[in-house]
Amino acid sequence: MTTNSPWRPVGKTIAVLALLAFTLFPIYFMLSTAFNARNGSGTDSLFPEHFTFDNFTKVFAEDDFGRYMLNSAIVTVGTVVISGALALLGAVAIARFRFRFRNTMLVLILVVQMLPAEALVIPLFLQMKDWRMLNSLLGLILVYIAFSLPFAIWNLRGFVAAVPRELEEAAYLDGCGWWRMFRSVLLPLVVPGLVATSAFSFVMAWEEFVFALTFLSKNDRLTVGVGLQHYLGAHVNDWGGLMAASTVVTLPVVIVFVLAQRRLGAGLVSGAVK
Amino acid sequence: MPSSKSRPWLLLAGPLIVIAGLLLYPIVRVTVLSFQRYNLREVISGHPVGIGFDNYKQIFSGAPGLPASYLWKTILPNTVGFAVLAVTLTVVLGTLVALLLVTLGPKVRALVIGSALVAWALPAVTGTYVWVWIFDPDSGVARHVLQGVGLLGPEGHNWFTDRNSFYAIALLNVVHHSYPFVAITIFAGLLTVPTELHEAAKIDGASAWRRFWSITVPLLRPVFAVVTILSTIWDFKVFTQIYLMPGGDGVNPDVFNLGVWSYISSINQTKYGLGSAIAVLLTLVLLVITLVYLRVLFKEEEDL
Repeated sequence: MTTNSPWRPVGKTIAVLALLAFTLFPIYFMLSTAFNARNGSGTDSLFPEHFTFDNFTKVFAEDDFGRYMLNSAIVTVGTVVISGALALLGAVAIARFRFRFRNTMLVLILVVQMLPAEALVIPLFLQMKDWRMLNSLLGLILVYIAFSLPFAIWNLRGFVAAVPRELEEAAYLDGCGWWRMFRSVLLPLVVPGLVATSAFSFVMAWEEFVFALTFLSKNDRLTVGVGLQHYLGAHVNDWGGLMAASTVVTLPVVIVFVLAQRRLGAGLVSGAVK
Repeated sequence: MPSSKSRPWLLLAGPLIVIAGLLLYPIVRVTVLSFQRYNLREVISGHPVGIGFDNYKQIFSGAPGLPASYLWKTILPNTVGFAVLAVTLTVVLGTLVALLLVTLGPKVRALVIGSALVAWALPAVTGTYVWVWIFDPDSGVARHVLQGVGLLGPEGHNWFTDRNSFYAIALLNVVHHSYPFVAITIFAGLLTVPTELHEAAKIDGASAWRRFWSITVPLLRPVFAVVTILSTIWDFKVFTQIYLMPGGDGVNPDVFNLGVWSYISSINQTKYGLGSAIAVLLTLVLLVITLVYLRVLFKEEEDL
């Protein structure tokens, strides 16, 4: 048995350090390049000596990155709000009612989650072209709602089911109708679930790439994912600018992840083990 | 209960309309398209031409401009081979990290989980660009470090043109991005394993290796199954990480996988019929994996 071997803590320390290095190196390298004034080569950014904000001001002043951020914000907020509302209704129906085809609904929701974007992008592109909704942020919002909805319903279902039925019944005894009960009892109690679900829709809509790449071609309509691609196309080898822009794109996602952290893991595990 | 029979359907109406209109109908349409010729000429005239299984024949025995063995020698290794490697590495690394996390004190544990969350949060687009920058053939840090230790000559090397090194970089990118989900999920599962079981086995003289396989794995079988299947689905349809690497956007057919091939054929080359047929194949593969997933899930959760 090696349980009490003196080498054990050393091995563990090395494992932790190696893991942290692998995990954090790309993030460190992105930041060090973004804040480095001299980006002649990668080694210059490994240990940057000339700190600067120039890369950031360049991205926002000379390029349209502010516009891309705004577009992404519009698309993200639209997606989160509408898909959250629809998902809540769907989750309540599935968690609170027994009806014919309920199991069919559950299977449907699980199966459509697996549909690959690459398969849907072809018909949806042709559809949006027919509707003249290419380069429309609304068209993108519609697609993102559809994409985030199945998982959002699946995720919220557990939170709705966790609300004790007695609370509902108490509201009925007090003379509430169903909608009144929904507004005053169910809704406030599933807010934590809504927050967790919204975090997932937020991240999906903010960083989605395939549909944005296909639907958007006008410069003033781009969202951040395609915006980055255009930036690299227009400024070849401007790694400082690209990494500064990448940092700005990453920041909101990290903030949402950290805020929603506890719920994020909890929901997934309870969905997985039960 | 004061609920009418129609209430669940009223509540489901909105979600169902969205799912039917924007997910189910498109899947039907892409399937129909896969049996048609719908190239630039047909797009202009507005009349797709039904051609039976011709698109599928092209996939299996060579599309115009591509070698007959393209599917077998390029696409399938790039898709299946990559998915197998990526899933194996992700699940093994995620499990090792989860086992490590259990033994750590609260502060170091919070540090490791926190950094894993940041890696998880790094968007696919920005993450891919960071790896491209690291391996940039001209000024990337990988070139300078390898030249510094004498492993690379002064002429340098373009890792993106050869498909093996191309996919090795994609592998680094994908494993870095997806191991945190596996690690955090399995770690949460490990915390539910009663410590008494391990204590008892220890007294009986079972080694850590033996305890892992005889206690942890059987108890957490559903968790392992779920993370493995979900990773398989994600790694099969990986797109952004391939498309955004040099050559992945259509220039170098050697590095396409099923998803990228479908996208390039349809959106870039306006062969919507051929692209749709490839997309249908990808969907069928994912559907099979999903059915396995459903069986595991429904077995574990009797009452959904």
